[in-house]
Amino acid sequence: MSKATRHRNHNAKSAPARKPATRPPAKTAPMLRIAHLYPTLTSVAADRGNLFAIERRCEWRGIATQVEPVFVKQTPDFTKFDLILFHGAADREMGIAAEDIHHKADSLRAAAEAGVVFLAVCAGYQLLGHYYKPFKGPKLTGVGILDLHTDAGEVRFMTHMAAACAFPETGKQTLVGYENHSGRTYLGKGVQPLGMVTAGWGNNGEDGTEGAVYKNVFGTYSHGPVLPKNAWLADLLIQRALTRKYGEFTLKPLDDAAEDAAHSSSLRLAQEFKGTKSAIAAATWK
Amino acid sequence: MNKAVGRVRLSVAVAAGKATGASGRLLRIGGGATWPGLIARRIDPDILKHTVGVSKAKKIVITGSNGKTTTARMVSALANTAVGKAGRVAHNRTGANLLHGVTAVAVHAANVFGKLDKDVLIFEVDEATMPLVVPEIRPDVVIITNIFRDQLDRFGELYAVARGIDKVLEGLPAEATIILNGNDPQVASLGAGAKARKLYFGLETTEVGTPVPEQSADVIRCIRCNHDLDYKVAYLSHLGLYRCPNCGYTLPKLDVAATQVQLAPDGEGPSTVGLITPDGEMQLRIPLPGLHNVYNAAAAIAAMHAAGLSLASAQTAFDGLKTAFGRMEKITAGDKTIFLSFVKNPTSFNLVLRLIAQHPGRKQLYIAFSRTVVDGEDFAWLWDVDFEELTPQVAQVMCSGNKAEEEALRLKYAGVPAKHITTNPDMEKALNAALAEVQPGGTLHILCGYTPNQQLRRIMQKRGWVKHYWQE
Repeated sequence: MSKATRHRNHNAKSAPARKPATRPPAKTAPMLRIAHLYPTLTSVAADRGNLFAIERRCEWRGIATQVEPVFVKQTPDFTKFDLILFHGAADREMGIAAEDIHHKADSLRAAAEAGVVFLAVCAGYQLLGHYYKPFKGPKLTGVGILDLHTDAGEVRFMTHMAAACAFPETGKQTLVGYENHSGRTYLGKGVQPLGMVTAGWGNNGEDGTEGAVYKNVFGTYSHGPVLPKNAWLADLLIQRALTRKYGEFTLKPLDDAAEDAAHSSSLRLAQEFKGTKSAIAAATWK
Repeated sequence: MNKAVGRVRLSVAVAAGKATGASGRLLRIGGGATWPGLIARRIDPDILKHTVGVSKAKKIVITGSNGKTTTARMVSALANTAVGKAGRVAHNRTGANLLHGVTAVAVHAANVFGKLDKDVLIFEVDEATMPLVVPEIRPDVVIITNIFRDQLDRFGELYAVARGIDKVLEGLPAEATIILNGNDPQVASLGAGAKARKLYFGLETTEVGTPVPEQSADVIRCIRCNHDLDYKVAYLSHLGLYRCPNCGYTLPKLDVAATQVQLAPDGEGPSTVGLITPDGEMQLRIPLPGLHNVYNAAAAIAAMHAAGLSLASAQTAFDGLKTAFGRMEKITAGDKTIFLSFVKNPTSFNLVLRLIAQHPGRKQLYIAFSRTVVDGEDFAWLWDVDFEELTPQVAQVMCSGNKAEEEALRLKYAGVPAKHITTNPDMEKALNAALAEVQPGGTLHILCGYTPNQQLRRIMQKRGWVKHYWQE
């Protein structure tokens, strides 16, 4: 673990002088429009905490948010959103989402190309790729925003995890969380990993990568939920969304004592990782 | 194995188990609920089969996500009253519901020859332990209380839990009875391939409940066709009066139905319910608060019917009930009151929060969770708890256990100001500090997981505020 990862300065050392924003600062309070994809299908792992993190961290800075749940059969214009959340789901719900998402795929792809910020977790992450092949049952076709595919293994990866990440805005950071997936995700050339695993399994347990990034689309296996205890990532998503909408935008620093304490606690758990594959494997039903 | 050797082994196993339990209690080292089972199984791995399995007693198994312990206590109270003689009913009343805890009941209840002379045996069994325990016990009645999301890291997705239980139900003989919560769209669908008789219990009233299920509800889509279910009323999580507008899947006819439900307005007092049962209509006063206890009571009544036991003195049995330890248990701590609640998933947490919200005034809270083998690894579910509903009433919260930081973070994002949140992972120091904030005559509400509940009880037992759990 490098020193930099321990000093978690979420707000970057004031951005280097760039040319002034092309657009003047917004007269009204800045506002982010957020799409929460399939909220009732993706509620299995409490990932709604990610939405709370975005909402609160905006609110504490006087940034307004407008959250719109997007259900099956609804096909809004996703390029009109600033941030899209697509969380984890159990197999059955993932199947329902996979069946529906084709009606949304063109618009989602357009949004990704236009730089709209995405956070996709677990099943949501897998469905942004080319396909998800369950261990049993037919292949689910993804929307292909992320150049990756996923084949499910028989054994689940379940553990506290940590990954080393680096972004221009944040410098080196550590991602922490809890992974719980049977999917093995393999990245293509069109994406960068979100980070490199320092503890846990990550994308596939083989190549050391965790998650994926393409433009402003972020995919991860980290639950926990991931954003509250990785305030740097929450702020990175907010920063990217605001910068895209309003030009250069500096986030006010927040008191992150509680976030940092939870981050350290999760990191300690991840570092105890000894390669336990799954609690479920030991259970009697399979 | 030679029969005589087998008998000796069984006898030694029972005796060793009994000795372990006795010394554990004598030495006050706790663990009295599971060690006897562990020791006895080491000596005779078939001890459960040889004692409980062959017993002629009525055997009732209770499983599901929530309500196991209280339902088992209700069944036990009803059975004791119905049998009318002391010492004829045995039950794992401490809630030790894994393999060793269940075996410990057999050890305590059997004589030193391994013979079990009882009329009714009641077992609360952990969902994941069902496939191991049920074939050994050979129960007459199996109750499935409900299936909610619970410890993803231990149980997996709830469909996996349901599939596991369904397999167990398929193995039951035609003489057995399966008692299912008809208000739970998933539980109601269990046992489709089972030979055993099925009875359904639940609520059928619009006096209580909400128009739509709460956010953490799990099974809100049709079990058959995946279409969103329509709810006439939602009682708790996904429990309710549901119907699929697409394929018509709906709740089965309830054999034991609570058709009139009046809850105490203060969140503390008894509920009055009118029940329709196969034995006729009955009125029941349930001294334990909350809608969840109406479910527990309905399940217990159904079990009595299934076991052929009389319900004539049911009210007498209910009048003697106390809350199972750590279920909104009222504890006098000097000049202050503690309400101790064991919560372990969003459904039970939300339920207790709603009861607390009905108490007057600003609330002093103490929240404690710890990651352990039994409590689980992943506490993400704290983010599924609708803590926001209580936020405006919160005076102070103490966060303890080894997940204190996670709890504090959850509360911060639920809008509780940082100055009202304190963390101290040391359970006893945290308890002292939290109580110091409570005025004389005031109340501290404790919400905690399984292991912290036991730790807190040990602390309070030392102070003479509660009895040892095996003395209850």
